[in-house]
Amino acid sequence: MRAMIIDDSRAMRSILRRIVTDLDFETAEAEHGQAALDQMRAGVVPDVCLVDWNMPVMDGYTFITEVRANPEWRDITLMMVTTESEQRQIVRALAAGAHEYVIKPFTPDAIVDKLALLGLLPEGHGVNA
Amino acid sequence: MSAAAVETPAPDDVLAVTEDVWVALLGDDDPLLPRVAPDGAAFDATGPWSAATTVSGGWQGVVTVELDDTAARSLTARMLDLPPGLDAVDGDIADAVGELVNMVGGNIKSLMPGPSVLSLPSVAAGRAAFASDVREASRLDLAWRGSPVRVSVHVPVS
Amino acid sequence: MTGSTAFASVSALVRRETSMIYDEGKEYLVEARLNPLAAARGLGLEEYVARLAFDAEERRKVIDALTINETSWFRDHTPYQAFTDAMLPPLLNARAPQRRLRIWSAACSSGQEAYSIAMLLDQHLPAGWDYEIVATDISTQMLERVRAGRYSQVEVNRGLPATSLVRYFTRAGRDWEIAERLRERVTVKHLNLAAPYLGLGTFDVIWLRNVLIYFDAATKADILRRMLPMLAPDGYLLLGSSETTLDLPTDLAAAWQREQIGRVPAYRRASALSTTPSVLTSTGA
Repeated sequence: MRAMIIDDSRAMRSILRRIVTDLDFETAEAEHGQAALDQMRAGVVPDVCLVDWNMPVMDGYTFITEVRANPEWRDITLMMVTTESEQRQIVRALAAGAHEYVIKPFTPDAIVDKLALLGLLPEGHGVNA
Repeated sequence: MSAAAVETPAPDDVLAVTEDVWVALLGDDDPLLPRVAPDGAAFDATGPWSAATTVSGGWQGVVTVELDDTAARSLTARMLDLPPGLDAVDGDIADAVGELVNMVGGNIKSLMPGPSVLSLPSVAAGRAAFASDVREASRLDLAWRGSPVRVSVHVPVS
Repeated sequence: MTGSTAFASVSALVRRETSMIYDEGKEYLVEARLNPLAAARGLGLEEYVARLAFDAEERRKVIDALTINETSWFRDHTPYQAFTDAMLPPLLNARAPQRRLRIWSAACSSGQEAYSIAMLLDQHLPAGWDYEIVATDISTQMLERVRAGRYSQVEVNRGLPATSLVRYFTRAGRDWEIAERLRERVTVKHLNLAAPYLGLGTFDVIWLRNVLIYFDAATKADILRRMLPMLAPDGYLLLGSSETTLDLPTDLAAAWQREQIGRVPAYRRASALSTTPSVLTSTGA
């Protein structure tokens, strides 16, 4: 499994990278939505994107809209990981095509649980174990 | 509009949001403890770092987190998982402290009338300076591993 | 814990009132849960424990603090899948005349199990059907939480699908509150699983997950024996993923028939299920 971690904070990317590499994911990273799209167009196509909302250049909401507009990327799972926590924001992100939503701050378990819900955990990693 | 009409976040909410961020990032081994600081006093830390984010829209406010250098460095080392002995550089600290205020600010925004937009964080090496057209609506003085931490919310003077 | 006598007396208290067992080696757990209670009274842990003998109110708090289960939404995931995919269809057939299902969430803790089931029933029951979920626990503090139906952001962040979060919850300050139409289907009752089950009625599915591990073998057998008449003849009993009925007395082990549903072991009343074949064979000669 490959995860693309999209967040303008290096510290946050590092936290997320440690969580998913522990689950045997390979990772790629981008500091905003546009940088992620550029990598994807260059052939770095992940199974799942962990996407922040508020970022410079291209925010996560726009990124999700762009990914969903491209039929070649329909198999990519999109998970928002953001401090935006109003109900209307979660509804908007889901309507735009996000599959899951984790509110910052989160504990590593929260990410693991959501990846399990999405059926993305490799063999040997239990749910809520 | 009178000043009383500007909604301000409840101190309990600001504390709970801050504690949630701390526990999620750092675990609950080193809890945030209350700290007494005189009213109106500037943040009295050595080598302080300050990070601010602005909420605008249905609610207007500035959320600021200030830390001393020691706290900012160890927090950054924990977030980046730096090996012992490897010191965080200033760019790392600015990034980590910025993410901290992003989380606190975003969660405070969600408790206030909306819809509002959260700005990208701005971080400075130095204590926070506030414009004359805002007033302090809420201030939280805490200690983490013996170092001072301050979270404040400013709203426009109306 | 500082004094082994203090631990022994707390463990005896919990055992007497709930039949739950805190063996030696669980000192750290008891200490972690009791320290805040002692601190709230301005007492050291040993002083606090000594006081319990005379203070029923504090005893109640100790029981509450020591009987709280870890829980999360859709815990372990697969039992919930088995519930909707394999248990609901035959139950919907069999209950078509009544159009009503009754579920028991035994040892419900803060209610995430009960409300997870409620969310599934809300999605999967045909129009015109009714359901009741009876949520029982020994901790009155936990029952209050179930009644309130409010969960922190940390709690809703774990294991709850985002679509369910926005569909079944609304923000209430820092918390998220479960929808009224789900909350009104959940009946909360104070119940010690080691004491008689009175006035509960019978259930189509009983969720008894991750609680039997706290009881000794005799109490566990007793609970499973008294669960038999609580379950409808064609109902299902679900235990925790690490729990089995293997070490039960033979008659009781035979009374519960294990039915594997994918990765989930469900238990069914053997008597009801095997009646027909055994009658047929005994009428030979």
